[in-house]
Amino acid sequence: MESSDEELCRAVAERKPGAFDLLAERYQERAYRIAWSIVRDREEAKDCSQDAFIRLHEAAGSFAGQSKFSTWFYRILVNCCLDRQRRRRGWRRLVGWRDRGDDPDGPDPVEQAAAPFSDPADALDTEQRMSRVWALVNELSPQQRAAVTLSVREGLATRDIAAVLSVSEATVRVHLHRALSTLRRRLGDEA
Amino acid sequence: MSDVHVDELLVDHARGELAEPERSRVAAHLAICAECRATRERYTALMAELQRTAPTPPSVHWGAYRAELRDRLERRGAAGPVWGWLLRPAPAFVAAALVTALVVAGWPGIVRGPGAPDPLALDNTILASQLDMIARLDVVQRLDLLEDFNVINELDELPEASKS
Repeated sequence: MESSDEELCRAVAERKPGAFDLLAERYQERAYRIAWSIVRDREEAKDCSQDAFIRLHEAAGSFAGQSKFSTWFYRILVNCCLDRQRRRRGWRRLVGWRDRGDDPDGPDPVEQAAAPFSDPADALDTEQRMSRVWALVNELSPQQRAAVTLSVREGLATRDIAAVLSVSEATVRVHLHRALSTLRRRLGDEA
Repeated sequence: MSDVHVDELLVDHARGELAEPERSRVAAHLAICAECRATRERYTALMAELQRTAPTPPSVHWGAYRAELRDRLERRGAAGPVWGWLLRPAPAFVAAALVTALVVAGWPGIVRGPGAPDPLALDNTILASQLDMIARLDVVQRLDLLEDFNVINELDELPEASKS
């Protein structure tokens, strides 16, 4: 019988051979996909998701089993991604990046910034794959984008998203409502 | 309470995630509010579109991905927890040490300290030691400095005749 994620995590904590590889193989695609949805860059998404696996390896012993393993791991992963976004934002501010200004509803400059260099062929493929509505999702704040991604793509319930993002369920509802409201407004403006 | 808009609960209501009593409250409000009903329909349609059109990330070779992950883990393990802790802040320590050295070297008050000699007094002492040589400048100018170093050392013992 196949081991559950929680059993594998405990085996990782006990440094049982093969447990970590099995867990990484089980979650690698989801981890990379979620990371990419947030950071929007292939190499950064690889780095973030691998960082999350490394933290999982180091912190497996602290998994108490009170939540699902997936919720616990997504929390590590999303924190890695948001930390990276914050660092990028910090560096850009440090070198005089234009701030959002007086328009609180205006798009975050970090979100509008061109992604770090990647293969032009990849970028073209990405453009072709990405619908207009997802291009608008990319202009949302990282927290709203994470909430939409976890909700729509990964099918997480509001309480699980709250656990992943370390916020209340009410805050997740606000993120989702504002995200969808912004998307509707921008799609309406373009129509 | 059913006349209060329930915008932020509409996503959860559409996904069937609301528990009682919120579910009944939202249902009661939707029964009387056309605006919230329309918003709920728009959100439902938008979420369906997002699900249908979700972009695929650029492909990754998973074997290479796991090999890279394994390599990163091993490098971390090889460093060990203690060395890892020591090595990570090393660049910060080096930078801090350099800055401190530069500040100390460039700030005379810090180098000198309260008990150190005043550099101006030191200059005066050197000048005073050379006063004799300045007084006998006419002799000094006629000497080859390297060959007649002894003469310079004994300037004060020279007879008055040779002073002129």
